Amino acid sequence: MSFFLIAVRNILRNRTRAISTILIIAVGLAALLIGSGFMLSTYDSLQEIAKRVEGHVIVLKDESVPAQGGVDQQLTLPNWQAIQDELWDDDRVLRILPRARFEGLIRHGHNSAAFFGTGVDPKEEFRVYGPFLKTTAVLDPWLSDQDMPDVVLGTQLAETLSATAGDELTLHTLRSDGQSTEVMVRLAGLFHTGTPELDDHTLMVNLSTVSRLLGSEKISQLSIYLEHYEDAAAIKQLLQAKLEGVLVQTWDQRAELYDKVKAQYDRIFGVMGIIILVVVFLAISNTIALAMYQRRDEIATLGALGTPSTRVYANFILEACLIGVVATSLGMLIAYATANAINLASLMMPAPPGRSEGYPIYIYISWPHYLVTSVVLIAIVAFASFIATYNNAKVNIAKALS
Amino acid sequence: MDIRLALHAITKHYGHGDNQVAALQNISFSLAEGEFLAVQGPSGSGKSSLLNICGLIDQPSEGQYYLNGQAVEQLSVKQRCDYRRREIGFIFQRHQLLPAMTVYENIAYPLFLNKVKAKQIKQEVTLLLKKIGLDHRCNHLPKQLSGGERQRVGIARALIKRPQLVIADEPSASLDHQHAHASLMLMRELNEQQGASFILASHDAFVVKHCDRNINLLDGSLAGEALGLGIL
Repeated sequence: MSFFLIAVRNILRNRTRAISTILIIAVGLAALLIGSGFMLSTYDSLQEIAKRVEGHVIVLKDESVPAQGGVDQQLTLPNWQAIQDELWDDDRVLRILPRARFEGLIRHGHNSAAFFGTGVDPKEEFRVYGPFLKTTAVLDPWLSDQDMPDVVLGTQLAETLSATAGDELTLHTLRSDGQSTEVMVRLAGLFHTGTPELDDHTLMVNLSTVSRLLGSEKISQLSIYLEHYEDAAAIKQLLQAKLEGVLVQTWDQRAELYDKVKAQYDRIFGVMGIIILVVVFLAISNTIALAMYQRRDEIATLGALGTPSTRVYANFILEACLIGVVATSLGMLIAYATANAINLASLMMPAPPGRSEGYPIYIYISWPHYLVTSVVLIAIVAFASFIATYNNAKVNIAKALS
Repeated sequence: MDIRLALHAITKHYGHGDNQVAALQNISFSLAEGEFLAVQGPSGSGKSSLLNICGLIDQPSEGQYYLNGQAVEQLSVKQRCDYRRREIGFIFQRHQLLPAMTVYENIAYPLFLNKVKAKQIKQEVTLLLKKIGLDHRCNHLPKQLSGGERQRVGIARALIKRPQLVIADEPSASLDHQHAHASLMLMRELNEQQGASFILASHDAFVVKHCDRNINLLDGSLAGEALGLGIL
């Protein structure tokens, strides 16, 4: 005797109610999978941005160790070339980017503005950071450091200065001994980060331009990019053991935005998930309770024939689980098709707070994630049906059969 | 002949206080092994209440009930369920076949509940299906059967496990004369072959005529008792 087949027949007998329950669960699951797929892709892209911007491992001057002599603005990391040479021998290391932060005033004709600048190794910098930096009107992508060095400005800063590519500008800043220094630069291009606060004040020059301007070989940080970012902890440990007076951090220790966004999304999708699970719980409880009410004489007959109540529970729970399996399978298919459609449509999200432009919506499709979510949902269906069955299976046989 | 069932001063009340209604009052009778007993009476006379108590579906408010010499009136719900599963067969007025089970599965179900081996279940069900002339309908669902066929399946389901006691509530009520006769003959035949005791509630004089004995209920009390074939 196949109770599986009997359960299937019972579901088909009550197909209208079963279909509506299946649709509720399927749509709920699809919403959950699409929402969490979007959440996971957002986490990944934020992680990727954090890694690209800061590096997988970051070496800084340990601020708890007193500096020897004066401080060249934010240029605090000495002997970085030695660290770089040491790291190049490690196969796990892909790129090493020195970055020198400095600040000052930039002038173009009668217009001037404060800036936050970064001296970079242009070739390596644009190779790593390039996909996240929209450059326009680039005359020379390599930020030459000749007699008149090149500079690239954030679009908003260029607008403030009314500067266009090819214009000559003047950078004013302070050396470590407090003397004012300036250099004429040529505007080689513009970049656009998508964050107005950055585009308003930032510029980039060649690292050697910063060294020449400030008279210091020091840098602010060394950003290390690895073949596999999973090696970050090992590299950090290695550097900490070898180097003294430096602070070594992994990308996640400096990813404040990622942490904040993740915490917020976790809350949003956590609440959404709970709501969907409650809806599924109520839908299946209602379906089973209704089914049991309508099938009271059948339950009474089972009882009269001497069927143990556990067998009656098992019959209804099996039916609920079958509904759950069909519904979650359908829900996974809906989620898969919808996610593919959204990904292919290249839809854009509106700009988030603090950003000037939106970003493409991408929904992650992960079958292990789909399966785990479906199993959780089926477990809830089984639990809901058990509660409904337990509360409704105690039928007065004599009354139900009269 | 041994006593299968004995009732002593059975009373059944429904409701409480001023709303209390007496469905059965001071009912006493006994039933021998293999005996075929008809319970007669007008609607509301307490036939169904009596059958429910005899079939361990309901409990009496007062009195003693012995089944195979064992006092059963105070058994727990689970104990009564176990007893019904092992020893009592039910034939319902509206046949009460399980709608999602095929004819075969409906008849096999009591054996399955009693953990009979699958091979034996197949043998016994196949034999009984032939006997009731429904072997060609074994894979049909109840909704695909006629009223008479359903009732025959209901009878087969009640008898397949060879119960000691069969309770039949108006077994011929939904049948025409021909089917009623066939059903009764089937019950009688299986009664003679298996030695089961039968209690049938019926208005049908034809059914009563074929019983060994009949009792009459009137307003919940025993109004009279007679030998079936001899008197009628």
